[in-house]
Amino acid sequence: MRLRYLVPRIVLLLIPLTGQAEVAPTPTELVQETVDAVIALLKEKSLDPDIRRDKIRALIDDSFDFRLMSQRALSANWKQATPDQQERFVDLFSQLLEWAYIGRIEAYTDEKVRYVDEKHKKGRAQVDTLILSGSTEIPVNYRLHKMGGRWRVYDVVIEQVSLIRNYRSSYREIVKQQGIDGLLAQMDNKLKELKAKADAAAVQG
Amino acid sequence: MSFRMSFDEEEEIAVRDPIEPFNRGMFWFNDKPYFYLFKPIARGLRILPEGSRESVDNFFSNLTTPIRFTNALLQLKFRAAGTEAGRFVINTILGIGGIFDYARRYFDLYKTNEDFRQTLGHYGVGPGPYLVLPLLGPSHPRDGLGLVPDAYIDPINWWLADSQFWPVVGIHAGVRVNKLALDKDTYEAITEEQFDPYIFVWDAYMQRRSKLVGK
Repeated sequence: MRLRYLVPRIVLLLIPLTGQAEVAPTPTELVQETVDAVIALLKEKSLDPDIRRDKIRALIDDSFDFRLMSQRALSANWKQATPDQQERFVDLFSQLLEWAYIGRIEAYTDEKVRYVDEKHKKGRAQVDTLILSGSTEIPVNYRLHKMGGRWRVYDVVIEQVSLIRNYRSSYREIVKQQGIDGLLAQMDNKLKELKAKADAAAVQG
Repeated sequence: MSFRMSFDEEEEIAVRDPIEPFNRGMFWFNDKPYFYLFKPIARGLRILPEGSRESVDNFFSNLTTPIRFTNALLQLKFRAAGTEAGRFVINTILGIGGIFDYARRYFDLYKTNEDFRQTLGHYGVGPGPYLVLPLLGPSHPRDGLGLVPDAYIDPINWWLADSQFWPVVGIHAGVRVNKLALDKDTYEAITEEQFDPYIFVWDAYMQRRSKLVGK
């Protein structure tokens, strides 16, 4: 190959390398930092529950790709939804996922998390972790993809069960019976219900 | 679908739920003993220190090694069989009859979960429709069938061979309730957070089962 063709190619090849100089965390680093930070916040008992939730939400927002998660949870119905419905779904779904995720992490605050493996496949990564809880261990795998040069989580697989796929079956049924607006209304209700319950528990506790 | 996945997880679940009305009825029924009988007992057990309950769990789990070992061999999973054999020797000797899981703590040998249901799946026996069994919960006809051979290789049953029916049931129920006490209210979280716990559990069961059999 002639040199004048080769030089631009080398220059092109170098661009991603210089981009990496700002040290984006690897998938494992990203997951570990997020999980550690969430657990640290949960252990801080003196923190106001609302402030704690906001802080945790900020952490999760930063490392989870809720838009892609929403797309996958709705699958074929995503395309049927209007942009407005899509926006509302992303908002409600991210809040529901946060509840579910925080609730589970909260239950296992005192357990050890082990980072077992990191696999790569076609631009995606999977970080395998193991929660060592008493006499059992719970495999929790995080699936990530790269967006804007950063890794982001788009699915969490607990004991071989993909959270997103799990939601998909439930949501498909509801959309079939009540349409997308019906689903959005149900999600809204569920969030209010969960919040009311948490507030009641906080008053008691 | 607008988004295609590369982590071999996107295949649709083949077995649907043809007897859903029956299953939903059974699911609803199973909730009653769970919430009003087993769960309160399990909660009561939590008064005991967690370490002692873990030891009970470890002990019975060590005792049932032959089930996992045999089924690993039947599926020609020699590595899993080796792990189980290694765990058994280490935990029986160092872990004092299996009450401590030193194989996990010091040797990084994790328990496998091989059973006859997977062996059947491994040799191509189809699962049949989803089936919710009374008290035992989500299953397939194949899985229900798989429980029988495992009961024969379960040393707890040899040990109790000459006893009456109820003590045997009692021990098995005890082992399950102890597990329930060690669990962190997973099912409660599902019923609280999900619109339709039935579908959630159905889907989780299908995903998990197909992964375990396919491994």
